[in-house]
Amino acid sequence: MALVEIQGLTKYYGKQRGIRDVSFDIKEGEIFGFIGPNGAGKSTTIRILLNFIYPSSGKAAVFGKDAARDSLDIRKNIGYLPSEVYYYDDMKVSELLRFSYAFYKKGSPKRMKELADRLDLNLNKRIEDLSFGNKKKVGIIQALLHQPKLLILDEPTGGLDPLIRSAFFELLKEENERGATIFFSSHILSEVQSMCSRVAIIKEGELIKVETIENLIRNQFKKVTITFSGQKGKTFKIEGGRKPEWSGDTLQLLYGGEIKNMLQMLNETEVKDLLIEEPSLDEVFMHYYEH
Amino acid sequence: MLIYRREMNRNRKALIIWTLVISGIAILNLLMFPDVAKQQAAIDQLIKQMPPGLIKAFGMDQLSMADPLGYYATKGYLMIILFGSIYAVMLAGNMLSKEHNEKTIEFLLSKPIGRSGIVTEKLLAVFTNLLIFNLVITAANYLGFWLAEAEFDLRVFLLLSAAPLLLHLVFASISFLLSSRMNKSRNIVSISLGLVFVMYFMDILSGVSDKLENLKYITPYEYVDAVEIVVSRSMNPIYIGIISAVILLCTIASYLIYQRRDIAV
Repeated sequence: MALVEIQGLTKYYGKQRGIRDVSFDIKEGEIFGFIGPNGAGKSTTIRILLNFIYPSSGKAAVFGKDAARDSLDIRKNIGYLPSEVYYYDDMKVSELLRFSYAFYKKGSPKRMKELADRLDLNLNKRIEDLSFGNKKKVGIIQALLHQPKLLILDEPTGGLDPLIRSAFFELLKEENERGATIFFSSHILSEVQSMCSRVAIIKEGELIKVETIENLIRNQFKKVTITFSGQKGKTFKIEGGRKPEWSGDTLQLLYGGEIKNMLQMLNETEVKDLLIEEPSLDEVFMHYYEH
Repeated sequence: MLIYRREMNRNRKALIIWTLVISGIAILNLLMFPDVAKQQAAIDQLIKQMPPGLIKAFGMDQLSMADPLGYYATKGYLMIILFGSIYAVMLAGNMLSKEHNEKTIEFLLSKPIGRSGIVTEKLLAVFTNLLIFNLVITAANYLGFWLAEAEFDLRVFLLLSAAPLLLHLVFASISFLLSSRMNKSRNIVSISLGLVFVMYFMDILSGVSDKLENLKYITPYEYVDAVEIVVSRSMNPIYIGIISAVILLCTIASYLIYQRRDIAV
């Protein structure tokens, strides 16, 4: 069963484009990624699902109910983490969380304590004294407290350190095993890759593709920057390398083959410096257009 | 009633300060009444020297400063309707817009509460605050009259206590209506404060000049005019009807506008 159904969804802010003709489904129980650069329309789509804004045309349904008309009903079973979290500065963390779960008549002090422990958050601090990352933790807890059927996470990992991030992913996996469906929006490809079963890719307001992670990984490639010492490297060529670009002694290319093979080849030249990194989203998209 | 309770807590400090200050001034004002009444002759002399238009504008041609309610109507009452209206627009104008300014509306709207639910609880909080504000001031006035050992007509006193509440509700509902569409607290409060003063100015003008008399129909101050209440010992039912209609229309419009708008933070 499709838990979220989006059909031809379009939103203009005045003349400005939000999203254009976006359609996809999220199935019950899956972790669905939503990926695209900043300003691509991820938040716009999410805000329509939560009825913060009304679509210009098209339809969105959650739990089989109309996102605008039955919003109140829908929100009973949603946990939402916005990309930027803003809470009442005058409240303590525990006050805010109690205020939050009181709306659902679910959740308990015990669960609040448990989640705060796992994310290493001090419940007695005032919201205004929290750092960006700690505010994000409050956001995570308020989204998880009432054990919603659908979690909508808009760029959830910004500001979290690696340790907390893995604790957070652990929590998400538990929620998913419990039966929660997760809608995970992000501009970081590796995050989506490790969490999700399927992803929708959005760019400039339009949906480019809905793809399984398997297919994405099959097309995976790395951005490689090599600095050579001496002249020997100038003739360096590598199988599976694409778009080589030279600047001085430095070569930059996209590599899609086995990392082991590349390292072996590099071993035979005089390498001064080597950088292997995730390609930026734009590069992923370019890659997509090529195929 | 989570939001209602939250708003009552959040606005408690402002309510206490405004109520204490206005009540205090009201009592002090009335404590001066016995002296004023004694010096009535001198005051009458003074008033006669004022321009006739000014006398008329403040209703001093029909009321005597020697009468406790006449004294109150020209002094304390004015302060309460004016300062109370300022309090009312600041209170109501910030109710919704504070959530937008501080971007906490996104949090609130993701919870299972409808937009109409948010509006209802916030409006109730505005009403409760203004009711408490006016009740305490009424008690303070009563205390003031008692301390000044002044005899007065209870019916007129109660009318003069209820009328400011109606005026405060008018300004509060206009201010709230603005905040259902606009985001910036500062703009909303500026516009509504402007209204409070411009309307008051128009009320004065309509009293001073016969040519501008028709102005009185568009300023709500005219509908709660103390002189008329004291002289007629009643409030004009048509005026009460107009005031209620304005409050009702602003409230309904607030619901409709807030329900339909896009909320972008």
